[in-house]
Amino acid sequence: MKILLRNAILFDGVSLSGKETDVSIDGSLIEAIGDADLGRDFDVIHDLSGKILCPGFIDLHCHLRDPGQEWREDLSSGSSAGAAGGFTTLVCMPNTDPPLDSPALVSYVLEKSGRSPGSRILPAGCVSRERKGKVLAEMGKMAKAGAVIFTDDGNPVSDTGLLRLALQYSSWLGVRLMEHPEEKSLTKDAQVNEGICSSFSGLKGWPSSAEASDISRGVSLCRDTGVPIHFTHVSAEDSLRVLREAKASKLPVTFDVTPHHLCLSEENVIEGGYDSVFKVNPPLRSRRDRDALWEALAEGTVDAIATDHAPWHIDEKDLPFQEASFGIASLECAVAAVLTEWEERGRPCSMGRLLGLFTSGPASILPGVWGGAGAGRIEVGLTADLTVLDPELEQIVNVEKWKSKARLTPWNGKRLKGWPVMTMVGGRTVHPVEETDRGLS
Amino acid sequence: MEWRHRHVLDLDSWDRSELQHILEQTRSMDELLDRPIKKVPALRGKLVVNLFFEPSTRTRVSFELAEKFLSADVVNWTASGSSTGKGETLRDTAWTLEAMGADAVVVRHGAVGAADYLARKMRKSVVFNGGDGAHAHPTQALLDLYTAWKRLGDLNGRKLAMIGDVLHSRVARSDIIAFSRMGVKVELSGPPTLMPRAPEAMGAIFRKDPHDAVRDADIIYLLRIQRERQEEGMFPSLDEYHQFFGADSRLMESASPDALVMHPGPINRRVEISSEVADGPQSMILGQVRSGVALRMALLFVCLGGVRQ
Repeated sequence: MKILLRNAILFDGVSLSGKETDVSIDGSLIEAIGDADLGRDFDVIHDLSGKILCPGFIDLHCHLRDPGQEWREDLSSGSSAGAAGGFTTLVCMPNTDPPLDSPALVSYVLEKSGRSPGSRILPAGCVSRERKGKVLAEMGKMAKAGAVIFTDDGNPVSDTGLLRLALQYSSWLGVRLMEHPEEKSLTKDAQVNEGICSSFSGLKGWPSSAEASDISRGVSLCRDTGVPIHFTHVSAEDSLRVLREAKASKLPVTFDVTPHHLCLSEENVIEGGYDSVFKVNPPLRSRRDRDALWEALAEGTVDAIATDHAPWHIDEKDLPFQEASFGIASLECAVAAVLTEWEERGRPCSMGRLLGLFTSGPASILPGVWGGAGAGRIEVGLTADLTVLDPELEQIVNVEKWKSKARLTPWNGKRLKGWPVMTMVGGRTVHPVEETDRGLS
Repeated sequence: MEWRHRHVLDLDSWDRSELQHILEQTRSMDELLDRPIKKVPALRGKLVVNLFFEPSTRTRVSFELAEKFLSADVVNWTASGSSTGKGETLRDTAWTLEAMGADAVVVRHGAVGAADYLARKMRKSVVFNGGDGAHAHPTQALLDLYTAWKRLGDLNGRKLAMIGDVLHSRVARSDIIAFSRMGVKVELSGPPTLMPRAPEAMGAIFRKDPHDAVRDADIIYLLRIQRERQEEGMFPSLDEYHQFFGADSRLMESASPDALVMHPGPINRRVEISSEVADGPQSMILGQVRSGVALRMALLFVCLGGVRQ
C-alpha cells in the first residue's frame, strides 16, 4: 500500500520546517520526503494542511498491567489507548504480576503486543529478580529477548550495592537502567507533597529530598561506574539542581518528566477537595517545582516527557484520598495536556523542542535494536511510525470514551488544545481506526 | 443570612460573617440549654445518622445530644476498618444511608478527605464532618471559637498560642483557620518534628520556645499528645515532652493570668497539661464540652432546619 501525506508541516525529530511538505509511504517504510509526484498511484492520500507531521511519539514509561492485572489495563487496551494518544511506541513497566523479570515474560509481551491493535509495546525488564531489590534479574537474557530498559519502577533500587552492581553488569548490554527515584525511609505512609498540601490537609508529607537524595546517589554511582542511568518522573526543583550539575559535568545521565507534574501542582489536591484523581507517586509538587520543570524543559535539560500512565480500576481509585491507589491515567490526553499548558504559559520553549521530548528525546534513551521504528526521526528508509498533530484542535476530554480501561483522570471534562489526530505504526493507520481501510480522505 | 454551605466539611471557604452567624446561633442554643426542658421540635421528622468509623465518645455523644435536643430521629451507625478492607466501600455506605432516607450524616473517619468524598457521593443528604484523619474537625474549631468568643467578646486582634502536635492534629488545622479568620493571631509551638512544613501558609507563626508563644496570649490551646507519636520516635519521651512543652505552672508564669486555657479533650495529665493547669481557674475545658452541644445544635439547625420539608 502506498500512502501520501500531503502539505504537512514537517517535524523531523529535531526541528520544525517552515513550509509544507509531502511524505510518501510505501508499505511500512518512509519512501520519499518532498513535493510529491501526484501522477503516481497512491492508495490513500491524506491532506495534512495546517497539521504537523512528527515521528511517532514514544512513551518511555507507562503501566499496562499485563500480565496479571488485566482488570486495570492490558496490552490490547493499552496499545489502543496509546495509538489514540498519538504514541507509536510504549515502554511498559515491569511491575506486573508476576513481575516482568524473565526472558519468557519479555517474549510474552512482545508476542501479545505484536497482535495488538495500536501502538507498539516494548517491555521494560526488572533490575532485580521478582522486583524485590535483592539480586539481579537475568538482564542479559531479557535484553536479548527484547527488553529495552531495566527498572524496578514503582520501587527504587534501594540497595546501593545492588544498584551499583546493576549498572556495572548491564554496561555491556546497551540497555539503560531507569531509576524510580525515591528514598523510601522518607516516604513511609506519605501521601502528598510536603509543604502547603501536607500542612493544609494533614496528609503525611512526601519531601522533595526523598527524590533528590536518591538522584544524588544515582548520579554518584554513574560518576563512579561511568554507566548511563535514567531517572524517571522527576518532579522537584531540588532534583533538577542535582541533574543540571551532573549534566554540566558530562555524566551520561538522562531524565524524564511527566505531563501531570508539568500541568498540575499540590494546590489541585486541596482545591479538588482531596479527590483521589490527584494522588500520584511522586506527588504533585509545589507551583515553584512545576515552574522549575518548565524552566529545565525550556533550557533543554529535560530528555523526555513520559506519561507514567497508571490505570486503575475505578473501585481501586474512587476512594477517599488516603485509601486510594497512587497513579494518574493520561495516555490518551497527555500530549494535549502538555501542549495546552505550554500554550497557557506563553510557549516557554519552541514547539520543536517540546515535540522532541516525545520523539528524538526518548528515542535516544532506548537501544536502537528494533529496525529503525521509534527512531524518533523522519528520514527516508525508516519505518513509517508517524504521528500527526493538529495544534489548533480543541477537544474536551471524555474519559468514558477512552480506549484505556481507566475511568478517572484529572483532565476529564477539561478543554485541551493541540491533539494528535492520526497515528501510524509501520505504515498502518492505527488511529483513527475507522479510516484504516478507506480510500481518499 | 443566606446560608451557602450545604455540607460542613472544613472551614476553608468560610468567611468571618459566616463564622459570626454561627456564633450568634450558638448563643441562642446555649441559652436553650439553661432551660429545664431542653428539647425543641426544630428537626422533628429529620433523620440524622452518626456514621463513625473511628472510636469517638465525645464528638459522637455531643452530636447525639444536639440531635436529640432538636428532636431529630437519630441512628448511630458504627463501622469499623477502612473501606478498602473487608466490608462495603464508603461509596456504598453513602448510597445505603441515602436509600434509608438520611437527611444528614455525621461522619468520623480515619482517612483524610473521607467527608469530602462522602459529600461528593451523596445526592441529597447533608454531610457533617466529625473529623477526617488529620485534616479537619470543623465542629471542634467552631465550638472552640464560641467558647473563646463567649468569654472574650470580639476576637479581632487577640492572640492564640497553640502548643503540641500540630502536624497530626485535625483540631489544630481547623482551629487555625477559624481563629485566624476572626482576626486572631495564631502562634504555634511544640517539638519541630510535630510541626507542619508550612505553618505560614496556614496563617500561623512557629515559635521555637513555647514561653514566647504563650506570652501575651489571650488563649492557650493545648493539643493532645498521642502516645503513638512517641512510640514512632517523633520525640524522645513523654517526660521530655512534658518538661519542655507541657503546660504547667512554670509555663503559665510566662502567660497572662487572664489567659484562657483550652484543650479538645481527652486530656493527658502530666503530658501536655499538668493537673494544676487543667483544673485551675483559667481552664475552659469543661466549658468547651458544653459549647460543643450548643454549637452542634446551631449547626444542625442552620444546615437542616427549614431547608427541606
